[in-house]
Amino acid sequence: MRRITLNLSIALRSLYSFKLRTSLAVLGVLLGTLSLIVVSNLTGSLVKQGEKELEKLGKNLLLVQSGTVIRFGMRTRLISTADTLKIADVQAILDHSPHVSMAAPSSTRTFPIRYENIVLRNTVVTGTSSNFTHVRNFQVERGRFFTEEEDRQLERVVVLGSRVAQRLFGAQDPLGKHILIWRVPCQVIGVMEEKGVDISNVDQDDQVFVPMGTFLRRFVNQQHVANIYVQTMESDSMMVAKSQIEAILRDRHNIQPGQQDDFTVIDSRDLLELKTQTTSMITLLGRIAATISFLIGAMGILSIMILIVNERKGEIGIRRAVGSRRRDIVLQFLLESSFIALMGGMVGVLLGLATSLIIFYFSGLPLSISPLALLVAFCSSVLVGILAGLYPSQKATTIQPINILNS
Amino acid sequence: MPLCILRNIRKSFFIGQEEVEILKGISLAIDEGEFVALMGPSGSGKTTLMNIIGCLDVPSSGEYIFAGQKVSGLTDDELSIFRNEHMGFVFQNFHLLPYATVLENVLLPTLYVSRKKDSEPLKRARDLLKLVGLEDRERFKPSQLSGGQQQRVAIARALINDPRLILADEPTGQLDSSTAREIMDLLQSMGHGGKTVLVITHDWETAAYANRKIHMQDGLVSG
Repeated sequence: MRRITLNLSIALRSLYSFKLRTSLAVLGVLLGTLSLIVVSNLTGSLVKQGEKELEKLGKNLLLVQSGTVIRFGMRTRLISTADTLKIADVQAILDHSPHVSMAAPSSTRTFPIRYENIVLRNTVVTGTSSNFTHVRNFQVERGRFFTEEEDRQLERVVVLGSRVAQRLFGAQDPLGKHILIWRVPCQVIGVMEEKGVDISNVDQDDQVFVPMGTFLRRFVNQQHVANIYVQTMESDSMMVAKSQIEAILRDRHNIQPGQQDDFTVIDSRDLLELKTQTTSMITLLGRIAATISFLIGAMGILSIMILIVNERKGEIGIRRAVGSRRRDIVLQFLLESSFIALMGGMVGVLLGLATSLIIFYFSGLPLSISPLALLVAFCSSVLVGILAGLYPSQKATTIQPINILNS
Repeated sequence: MPLCILRNIRKSFFIGQEEVEILKGISLAIDEGEFVALMGPSGSGKTTLMNIIGCLDVPSSGEYIFAGQKVSGLTDDELSIFRNEHMGFVFQNFHLLPYATVLENVLLPTLYVSRKKDSEPLKRARDLLKLVGLEDRERFKPSQLSGGQQQRVAIARALINDPRLILADEPTGQLDSSTAREIMDLLQSMGHGGKTVLVITHDWETAAYANRKIHMQDGLVSG
């Protein structure tokens, strides 16, 4: 222990005499550690946010979409429409797939809506069933959602999205008022909570909800629905439920083997995957940046160590004369280079944490600190120090004391 | 029994393609407790001989026995340990570490002590600094000391591991005559304390401290 402190104190003094170069080498490692930590935390945060959005969409959610949907890389496209998805399919899915806990049909169309002399053109009107709030994990803030009975009776009731309520009524209480949707007067019975833009990039607050029966009969005069939200019992059973639903609907829609489906079952995780692709791109770029910074740091340490070895030939000669073995010299210079790296690593970890916190604070991303990343960043900095010290310390051992001492 | 026995030591170097023989067969013995002055003109091989006796260098041929142990066959690591345990070096240019303090310089050889019995090196270092009269300078840097003081630090460093042989290569070469006398008095008192001292010098006043003089001429001992 005493030897280590003595060696360290001598080393510190010698590093101190190369202030600028030492600090540059420290800075290189520091930046490497910093970027590694920030990127890891940011990636973790983005993943966390994705999960949050998924939860916002509704837990363990499958979406049965009428028509054929395919994904082109980052976006989904409806390539063919169909009018075969019916309300009765909802009940069939509930009856025949044991993994399904709830299902809610939904259809949308845009209509102008009006209250007194305020008109909102092109408002999304969503027809759905009374259990929509549970399936989509989207709650009513004021008033109530419509009931199954109202759905059956084709009642003219409407629940407003928070932004629509704000636009039509401002500070007034919308409950009990009548608004005109297209040509149909409907009574406002509730206002939804604020939900924001969900993972499918639809602003959930900029729409109004009416009972499915009312929507089909009074607004669009159709028999078919656009899609069905299906909630499974557990997240593990999503894949099973998906294939069961496909089998049920193929049977009900009389689709022969080999024939194209007239519906598509989308996993909510599919949507998340799109996000993940973006995230992994960020991760990759960040890792590259961190690696480059580490390389710069390593080169910094390498050059300062070569310089130090050259400047300290005399010291090496003296140390060899008073009895240091070659391996003691190697150890000494490795210690010094690891010390530089360690300094950079420690400061980098602290600054990385601080930077992450600042980014989280200002971006509103969920807080995510990865202890593993801290450990990895710290270990890499030490590793860089040792690797960069290998060559100079090896070089130091070739110095012969007699050539130094007698000159 | 002599401390150092050299039998027919030869050493040659290559200067370019040409082989130059610096030592041409030296045989001598140094007894324990002797104060020896090694004299001769420059180029006579004094320093090369001292390097071999101090185990900093190995002979091209011949046999060297130190304290009953054959040195010729030792590996580089073993030579390091050997120097650490048995040799104390004092150089003309002092060769102190410039960025280390006086105390750290004195302690330097204790970093490489392999024995477990290395007890209280700090106390020994302070005792030695007192002995050379620098007990109030232990936190100074070498550059803050005079030449004579630096050489005293070097002597304290040479003594820290209690070596059997002290080798001094022109220890007074950089010093004025009164400081030189102080340093030689110090080395002589080491000799009286039972240490074997080998001093290289071409100065007769310095050599007068020795109780034996070895003259070298052209790679050979001349008398």
